[in-house]
Amino acid sequence: MNRRQSKVLRTLARLVIRLWQMRRVLLLVVPYLFLFGWLFAAGSRMDVRPGELYGVTDEPAWGSPDADHWFGTTVNGADLFELSRLAMATSVSVAVVSVSFGIALALLVTMLFVFDPGEKRFELPNVVGQSGFLLPSFVVLLVLTGGSGGSLGVAILGLILVIAFHLCPVLTTWFQEGEDGFDIVAGYALGLSRREIVMNRILPKILRRLVGVFATYVPVVVLVEMALSFLGFTGDRLSCGAMIAYGQGLIIEAPWMAIYPGLMATAVVLVLSLLGWRVSSAMRTGPLPRLF
Amino acid sequence: MARIVLQRLLVSVIRFAAAGLALIVLIELAFCVIGGSDRHVWRAESYGPVPPGLSARPVSWAGLLEDRVRVSLPVLFICVPGILLIGYSWGILGARLRRFHGARLLAAPFSLFACVPGFWFVVLVAIYSYFHWKRPGFADDLIVEQGPDLLTWWHAAVVALPALAAGAASQIRAVSSVLEREVTRPYLRGLFMAGYSEEDIFYRHAFRRALPALFAAGDRTFSALAGSIVCLEYAFRYPGIGSLLVEAVRLGSYGGILVSAFVLAAFVSAGVIFCESASRLIKPEAAGG
Repeated sequence: MNRRQSKVLRTLARLVIRLWQMRRVLLLVVPYLFLFGWLFAAGSRMDVRPGELYGVTDEPAWGSPDADHWFGTTVNGADLFELSRLAMATSVSVAVVSVSFGIALALLVTMLFVFDPGEKRFELPNVVGQSGFLLPSFVVLLVLTGGSGGSLGVAILGLILVIAFHLCPVLTTWFQEGEDGFDIVAGYALGLSRREIVMNRILPKILRRLVGVFATYVPVVVLVEMALSFLGFTGDRLSCGAMIAYGQGLIIEAPWMAIYPGLMATAVVLVLSLLGWRVSSAMRTGPLPRLF
Repeated sequence: MARIVLQRLLVSVIRFAAAGLALIVLIELAFCVIGGSDRHVWRAESYGPVPPGLSARPVSWAGLLEDRVRVSLPVLFICVPGILLIGYSWGILGARLRRFHGARLLAAPFSLFACVPGFWFVVLVAIYSYFHWKRPGFADDLIVEQGPDLLTWWHAAVVALPALAAGAASQIRAVSSVLEREVTRPYLRGLFMAGYSEEDIFYRHAFRRALPALFAAGDRTFSALAGSIVCLEYAFRYPGIGSLLVEAVRLGSYGGILVSAFVLAAFVSAGVIFCESASRLIKPEAAGG
């Protein structure tokens, strides 16, 4: 006996099928959502100063790790686990903003040279890149943030410039490699303009790979941002780097205050790195991976 | 050979000068334009003698540089050969075992260790050293006055280890990706069809043809290494050239910044000259590919 399925059931079935088709993408996206959701569930308070948390008083209220406070408590009795989570949320936010703008800037700069029909169109960015690599990026960031008095805005600006500088040679190489394909030669033979070829054939492949670049760069930038805050060059702002730096002064009385923020930072960077490598390899070429 | 080395040397001098100019502009931008300082980088009075914050004893800039470079040399002596040795040997092996994701597996321990913030690692070592060995943990706390100076090498190893792990991980990936790209070339399929064994194809043809690219793959490692020792040395109170840079930035000493940054740039430049010269000197045809 044939019965017509209800509209709700049909929609549900279609949704399940669609989710099944998207399972590989979801396997990559869902862990990111969980991680970001968990990090940002602690809130986004920018008014917490590490100096207040680690400044030793006559009667410090700190406590070593126990069942209630997994990472222990700070001088004023604040939970170190929640503070570390808050600090990592800030670091990840800084990294996401810096990498996004860095990639956009690199793409913009590269696109200035891509449409040039000359054979040596990438000569200038390549020469600048080779000279600039003699000066380590961390040195550039250090001088920029330290000289300007140490503020988060300057640190983000420096990170954006450094990321764009690193990415420009990579993008030029990708554009050059993209122009070597048979389909591109065929496109020229068929009379397509350079603009059409770049915009419709080469650029989509590069944009796809940029998602992987973003995922790979974020953990690296998180580490760099923490290193800068460890050195005290991103202002008096809560960051795991700053917490470890302040905790160094208390390694005899309260060693957990230097140990556990670093543990949280390592865990978050590790998860971001693993996901980044996976996303990068998935986005490079071909279909998304079968197994996560 | 001499022509190629001299040519690379000349190119490096020009690049070094450009990097130096960029550094001067950066200092002016950071300290004067953004930071609001009135000590411009082109004025002689902005430099002066070595500030007491950079050296406990009165010393000239050359003397300070010599002291700091001598302290940093053991770190570089551990890092550079370690990265090149591990990076190239494991990278080649990883590419050979590409069917089993060899490169990823071999690089995994180093990549995982690279996720640990290096400054946190050295703080952990300092804490461990204090509680378990009952002695001050940081590098500036104890001086060996007699007997073999093993402590210097221990301190250098603590600073070098995180930098070595990160460098080795990236080098393994770079080397294996160069080789993996080479083994996808069509001529190797022809050799396979002609009956050559896989080992023959990989080591006698693909590897030899990829040698110039393999040497060129090492140049970016030196820049990353120089950057990472800056933070690590400062975290461990290790009085090397990296610490000098951080202290100079803190004190706003242009002389200290220029001296330390130029030394780091010279180190990177030397590495780049070596990689580029080697990559140009080796001709894949002559290697029997």
